[in-house]
Amino acid sequence: MISQRGTALLAGITERVGRVFGHVEDIRGAGESVFQAAQEAGRQVRRADFAALRPLVADVLHEQAGLVAGAGVVLAPDVVADAPRSIEWWWADAAARISRLHVDTDPSSAECYDYTTTEWYREPQRTGRAAVTGPYVDFICTREYTFTLAIPVFEAGRFRGVAGADILAGQLERLVLPGLAGLGRVAVLVSGCGRVIASSSASIRPGTVLRGRELPVGLAPVAELTGGPMPWTLLSAS
Amino acid sequence: MPRSALATVRSRTVFAPLDAGGRAGTVARRLIQAITLGLLLDGECLPAESELASQFGVSPVTLREALAMLRDMGLVETRRGRQGGSFIRAPDQAQAGYLEPQLRLLSVHELQDIGDHRAAVAGAAARLASQRALDGDVHALREHVARLRAAGTLAERRRADTRIHIEIAAAAQSPRLTRAEMDLWSEVGDLVWLPVTGDLVAEVTAEHVALVDAIGRADPDEARQLAEQHVLAETERLIKLRLGMER
Repeated sequence: MISQRGTALLAGITERVGRVFGHVEDIRGAGESVFQAAQEAGRQVRRADFAALRPLVADVLHEQAGLVAGAGVVLAPDVVADAPRSIEWWWADAAARISRLHVDTDPSSAECYDYTTTEWYREPQRTGRAAVTGPYVDFICTREYTFTLAIPVFEAGRFRGVAGADILAGQLERLVLPGLAGLGRVAVLVSGCGRVIASSSASIRPGTVLRGRELPVGLAPVAELTGGPMPWTLLSAS
Repeated sequence: MPRSALATVRSRTVFAPLDAGGRAGTVARRLIQAITLGLLLDGECLPAESELASQFGVSPVTLREALAMLRDMGLVETRRGRQGGSFIRAPDQAQAGYLEPQLRLLSVHELQDIGDHRAAVAGAAARLASQRALDGDVHALREHVARLRAAGTLAERRRADTRIHIEIAAAAQSPRLTRAEMDLWSEVGDLVWLPVTGDLVAEVTAEHVALVDAIGRADPDEARQLAEQHVLAETERLIKLRLGMER
């Protein structure tokens, strides 16, 4: 019974996050079109080419306002002619104004933001599939507790970077908490690495880590999202 | 507390202007922060004034005011002509000649207050990080400590050090502590390594190694204590240096 209700709850979350992934797919498509157009013109892509993504990303940010904080593409090293590394990312502030993210991506600089080592870049690169990273403190873009959804961008089968979107952890919690509380017993949603995403118990807090043998007494996995981009588990009293 | 005194406290806190420096000041501070954190690099050309103004959501007049402030501080250089624009002049070769006037601007009490704030933030971040960091977080911290070890200049040490403290706060899973570290480091980060010379370099580097080790061992009390001691020692060095300027 609890596992059925838990499974339904996770399905609801997957559906909602899936809608955001749908938009990230659109951004990926637009990014791949940029590569294709450059290839047809017989030249390498340039940073300015990706300005073409701005209207699409702005639409996504407006339509998903309240859930998606930023979106865009992050390109693999040396695929853009005029920049060794490149982040083409836009974000919306509280007044829904769209701004482009400015980050130092010059690898010769000491403080270069080396995104190629981040989980949200590495995972889609490694697996060729969509991935959800987080929650983590994103001190580069949102400066908030954040999830990043990412899908690999390909050009003729070659990895060219990732398309992605940021979801603020607080927004996701607002989305899932009613369902957790509605189960009528302690219910905790944890990420693949055991980090608490949301919890109906005041004694189990978001951001803390619950590992297998350290699970609080009475809690056990009752439903799991396996095989997808978010290997999340619902823990509850079974 | 007499009524009038309370009124003064209130007017200084509750009813203080939300943005004392005005919008131009806010924009200038954001740019200074980006420069001191190394997000904007020496020699880098800023976007056109109109683009930058719309990004910050301010008028071109306000943006020009902010750029003028940065020019006065020598952090931005504006060149005319076809290759013109506003260029970042990052104090990369953070030399005593640039830093000492900055230290002189701060009173001993201000230095102590900043140190107390930093100790509170760094101590809490270290304690929480030791409870909440995953192996991957600790691994990333160790990489930044390795960068600090390998650093050859004051500017490199300062950048690696900044990154270590920001990453500890991020590993604590706290955006607020992370932002507090970022703000504190952009405010006084340049000064931290100023009094650190000779054998002290290795000593202060070893303090970071010990701190990250305590976080890796998931020892919250030890981590908090090491972080606090580390910051208080830095504060004491800065206060001594500041007092030395009076002689």
